[in-house]
Amino acid sequence: MIGLPFAGNGLVHAGLVGLGIGAALLFYAYEKRRRGLTDPRLWPIAGFAVAFGAIGSRVLTWDVFRQVSLADWWGNGDRSILAGLVGAWFGVHLGKRLTGYRESTGDLLAPAVALALVIGRVGCLLTELPGTPTGGSWGIVLTPAQAALTGAPAGVALHPSFAYEIFFHLAAFALMWRFRDRLPHPGDLFICFVSAYAVFRFFVEFVRGNEVLWLGMSRPQWFLLAVLPLLVWRTWRMFGTPLRREVEGTSA
Amino acid sequence: MSEDQGTPPPTERGRGRQREPRGGYLGIGTASGALVLYILYLWATIRDGPPPWPNSIFAGPAAFVPVAVYLGVAVVLAIEPRTSRTGAGMLIGLGIFTLLGGGLCVGALVQAGR
Repeated sequence: MIGLPFAGNGLVHAGLVGLGIGAALLFYAYEKRRRGLTDPRLWPIAGFAVAFGAIGSRVLTWDVFRQVSLADWWGNGDRSILAGLVGAWFGVHLGKRLTGYRESTGDLLAPAVALALVIGRVGCLLTELPGTPTGGSWGIVLTPAQAALTGAPAGVALHPSFAYEIFFHLAAFALMWRFRDRLPHPGDLFICFVSAYAVFRFFVEFVRGNEVLWLGMSRPQWFLLAVLPLLVWRTWRMFGTPLRREVEGTSA
Repeated sequence: MSEDQGTPPPTERGRGRQREPRGGYLGIGTASGALVLYILYLWATIRDGPPPWPNSIFAGPAAFVPVAVYLGVAVVLAIEPRTSRTGAGMLIGLGIFTLLGGGLCVGALVQAGR
């Protein structure tokens, strides 16, 4: 039995989210320095990513059907990593457009995002509903008080879905660290990371315990179903183009 | 606006180690930005006493006017080369306040569980 030591503790959650943002910014600074990038526009672009990621995580999860004002939602509503990533993506593009920066920044940002998610998800793991029931011995069993706080059944082993996600982001960070200078095109690292996360997240949602929206799938899964074709196309373009050229070169 | 006086035109070509133009202060921008937003938030929620949300300015669209003004100022400072780091810090401060400040998603979870 692992339990949920800080069930519903907003301070612990916020503290770890803050640590995650801090670690990501430190890594961004380190990686920027390592690559010898001195362009002064790179910090504003990071600022746009953080600000619009945060705004996106709040605003894009706003559920108008719950009859909650945006102001209340801003203060007390949910936040979503997927919505945050969409907001950050928009923020980076807006920042680049406004500052006139044309180089790809994805390779610089992707490992930092993974690092932030590793730490931020520890906050979720310690405080939130862990997941759906599992027969596995690794499940998190809640006390009646913890179960009442999170709306989960007490005394039943639950999937530690946030731990799965932490392992994913740790592995992604390690892989990106290893291959960060080896991919052929700028920005490939970010495409690989986001595409892999989208696929992983789609499947982990089945044990997350989020509200089912339709056909047994949650809101994030429907969102991912909508964007996955775009990501698959982008990934195919990334890996497919050189391969096609090689094939054409061989047959010619 | 003579915006390029303090900072040379940015280039990405040189990959060698160069001294980075400062363009303001990232840490000060972040700390002061987040502090301003927290003070605004506390003022708006505490001044009318409990229950805070229905009676405070955070109840309506007016709640977002100060945030929008703050965002506008931060964006202008961020795209101005002489103040780009301060503006970037203010944007990061807004992100930190938005993610950490005010009500938290866990708070909503607690309410839902009651």
